Amino acid sequence: MKILVVEDSPSMRHYLATIIEGGSESYDLDIVEAASGFEALKTLPHHKFDAILTDINMPDINGLELVSFLKNHPVYRAIPIMVISTEGSEEDRRRAAALGAEEYLVKPFESSDLVEKLRRLLRVA
Amino acid sequence: MAKEDDRARHDFTGEAEELLDTLSRDLIDLEAQGQNVRPELVNKIFRNVHSLKGLAGMLGFSEISELSHNLEDMLDKLRMGKIAITRDLIDLLYDSVDSLNRLVIGINDESMAGLVDLTRLASRIHQAVSAQPQQAVGDPLAGLTLDDHTRKSLTEYEEHRLIENVRSGKHILTVEVTFDFADFDEKLRALSTSLSEAGEVISTLPAIDSSGGSGISFRLLYGSTLNEAAVAAIAPNAKVTSLRGGARATPPAISPANTQGAGEVARAPLEPEDDVSLRSVSQTVRVDISRLDHVMNIVGELLIEKTGLEAMTRSLSGQRALSQELLKIARNFDRKLSELQRSVIEIRMVPVGQIYSKLSRTVRKVARELNKEIELVLRGEETELDKMMVEELTDPLMHIIRNALDHGIEPAEQRAKAGKPPVGRITLTAYQQGNSVVIDVRDDGRGIDAAKIREVAVSRGLIGAEENVDATRAYDLIFAAGFSTASEVSEISGRGVGLDVVKRNIQDLKGNIEVISTPGQGTTFRIMLPITLAIIQALIVRAGDEDFAVPLTSVDESLRIYSRDIRTVERREVFTLRETTVPLLRLSDAFNLDGRGDEGPDAKWFVVVTRSGEKTVGLLVDRLVRQQEIVIKSIGTKLKSVPGVAGATEVGEGQIVLVVDVGSLIDHFGGRAREARARG
Repeated sequence: MKILVVEDSPSMRHYLATIIEGGSESYDLDIVEAASGFEALKTLPHHKFDAILTDINMPDINGLELVSFLKNHPVYRAIPIMVISTEGSEEDRRRAAALGAEEYLVKPFESSDLVEKLRRLLRVA
Repeated sequence: MAKEDDRARHDFTGEAEELLDTLSRDLIDLEAQGQNVRPELVNKIFRNVHSLKGLAGMLGFSEISELSHNLEDMLDKLRMGKIAITRDLIDLLYDSVDSLNRLVIGINDESMAGLVDLTRLASRIHQAVSAQPQQAVGDPLAGLTLDDHTRKSLTEYEEHRLIENVRSGKHILTVEVTFDFADFDEKLRALSTSLSEAGEVISTLPAIDSSGGSGISFRLLYGSTLNEAAVAAIAPNAKVTSLRGGARATPPAISPANTQGAGEVARAPLEPEDDVSLRSVSQTVRVDISRLDHVMNIVGELLIEKTGLEAMTRSLSGQRALSQELLKIARNFDRKLSELQRSVIEIRMVPVGQIYSKLSRTVRKVARELNKEIELVLRGEETELDKMMVEELTDPLMHIIRNALDHGIEPAEQRAKAGKPPVGRITLTAYQQGNSVVIDVRDDGRGIDAAKIREVAVSRGLIGAEENVDATRAYDLIFAAGFSTASEVSEISGRGVGLDVVKRNIQDLKGNIEVISTPGQGTTFRIMLPITLAIIQALIVRAGDEDFAVPLTSVDESLRIYSRDIRTVERREVFTLRETTVPLLRLSDAFNLDGRGDEGPDAKWFVVVTRSGEKTVGLLVDRLVRQQEIVIKSIGTKLKSVPGVAGATEVGEGQIVLVVDVGSLIDHFGGRAREARARG
C-alpha cells in the first residue's frame, strides 16, 4: 500500500507518518511525503498511490484545489482522499466533501481515529 | 509518553520557534505596510497561526493551542474583512506572539510559561473580535460567469477575497496556462508574481493538460484593475477570460465599517518608528527597577550579616548545646538567603528578545535611508539578562548594527560583483555561556580593511605615518576615541558617537567587546556580558597589603609562579603560560601601592589571568584570599576617573575593598610598555 501525505508543516508530516506506520501492522506500507500541493502534483506521476492524505491550508495551491484536481482527473480520481484540517473550518469540510473527498479528519485527533479512517479508506481489515 | 510523542514534541518546539520567528517578522511587515496591507500577508499570518494551533492541539500543549485558537479566530475575521487593522490590534498581535514565544520556551522551562496571562489576552482578543459584524448583502458573485466547479474549489477565504475584489470594482478574470510538468512550479510562481503586481491571484486551480499534452494546466482566478487585454499582455501564453466583474458588477451597498476590507484597511496613523517604545513582554507586574535594586542591596547586606553570624557561632564552641542550635539556625538562614538572592536575580531577568523588535524597526529604517536591502536575522531572543543591562544594551547594539549597515554591507552592485546575494544579511545571535551572555552581531559585508583603517588613523593623528597596522591593531583602532570613518554619513552610524563610546558602554556593564573580521566576507562584533551586575562572583586577591575583588567573569584562571618565571620582553614583564607569552601587570603598581622588594628567584607570586576581548593580561598579586559573591556599590564621582576601578564592595566584618575593572585596567596599563624592574 502506498500513501501520499501532503502537509506543509514538517513536524505534523512526520507525526502523521509515524502514526500511520504504527497502525499498519497488518499491511505493508510505503509513505511518500509532500511538503506542498506543488510537490504533490510533481510526485503523482511517479507512483501508484492507494490513498492520499492532505492538509487544507498550504501555500501555492491549497488542499481543496488539490482535491478538485484529483477528483477531475481521469486517472487520479480513483484514489481515495482524506482531508485533514483543524477544527472550526466547518465550511471547508463541507466543500471538501462536495469536491469528492472520501474522508475528513479534524485536528486534534486521536491516533486511533486516523488509523481507523485510513483503514476504511484503504479497505483493509 | 510514547517515543513518537517525544520525537514529535521535540520537532514541535523547533518548528514552533520557526513559525513564531516568521510571525514576528511578518508583523513588522504588517505594521510597515501601513494603509496598504496586502491580503496575502494577512493570510500568511493567519496560516502560520493556524499551523501552530494544529500542531499544539495534536501534541496536547493546551495553552499554546488555546491562545493560537483565539488568535486564529481574530485573524480569520481580519482576513475576511470583518474587523479592521488598528494600532491596538497590531499591539495585541505583538503581545500574543510574545506570549506564544514564552509558552513555547516554557515547554522546556516552566518559569517562562508562568509569566503569560492567558485570561487577559483572551479577553483582549475577545474584545477585538466583537467589533460590528459585516452585513450580508445578497450574493455579490451573482453577476459573475463563474462556473460551479471553480466556485466549489474555493476555500472560504478565497471566496471572501473574490467578493472583496468584486466589491472594490476590480475586473475578475481567469488566466488559463499550461506548463511542462518538469518546471510548472517555477513558471507558475513567476507568473503569479508578475500578476500580483497589478492585482490579486485569488485561487490557483490545477487541471489536466487542456491541450491534450503531457503537461499540466492551471486556472488562476485573478482580480485586477487591468482589463482582459492588459492582463493578456502580462501573460502572453495564457488564455485570459473576463468573468464580467469590474465596473459592470452591481455596486453593492457597503456599510461604512466595510469600506475597509482586509485589502485596503484604514488604520490609525503610525507614530514615527523611532518613538515606538520597547514592549515589555512581562504580562504581570511592572516594578521600577530601582525598587529591585533596593531589595538587592538588602540581600547584599544580609550576606554580610551572615558572615558575622557564622563567626559568632564559631566562637560559641564552648557551649555545645547553644552552639549546635545556633549552627542549625545559621545554616537555614544561609539556605533561605541563597534562595532569596536567586529569586531576586530571576525577577530582574528578561529575555534579550525584548529589544529585538526595536532593532528590526531601526534596521528597516536605516536600510531604507541607505538604499540597501538588508535581511536581519535574530536568534536567541530567549537568552536572559538583567533588565538593567538589556536596557543599557539597546544603544550600543543599535550603534553596532548601524555601523554594519553603513560600513559593512556593500551596495548591491558591489555585492553582485563579489558574487554575493544582493540582499545583505545581519545576524544577531545571543546565547548564554557560563555566567556570561554573548551577543554576536555578524554582517556578511566587506570586512575590515586594515590598510584603510591605517589611513584614517594617520589622518586623524591617532598614529604616526610610519606605524604598521595589522588586523589586530586595526580592530583596536576602530574603538579609539577620535576615530570615526563616518565623516560622510555621520547621520547614520555616527550621530557624533564613535565605537569608542560603544566600548565604554559595554565596559560600564562589566562586559567587553571584540571584533573578528574576514576581508570580503564580513565582520562580527562580539559582546560578552555578565548575566547580572547585581551580585557577582569575585576573586578576592591581596596586593601591596590591600585586598581587591576581581570579577570572576573576567578571570580565565589563576596560578602560582615564582620570581624566576617572570621575564622581561621589550621592557615589559611577561611569563609563559602553556607556550604563550602573557604580559604581566603588578596590581600594586596599577594602584600605586608599595610593592614587595626583591625577594630572590624563589619568591612566590600568584597570577590571575584576566581577559578583556582578545587581550589577556596576568595580574600579579601576592595572595589569592578567597572567592565570594559580592554586591558592587558605586563609589561616587571621586574615584570615577581612576582607571581600573569598577566600584567598591563590602566583603564582611566591615571591610571595604575596591572592585577591579579588568577591561579599563587592560586598556589603561595593558598596552603601555613598562620599565622593567631593576633587579639585583
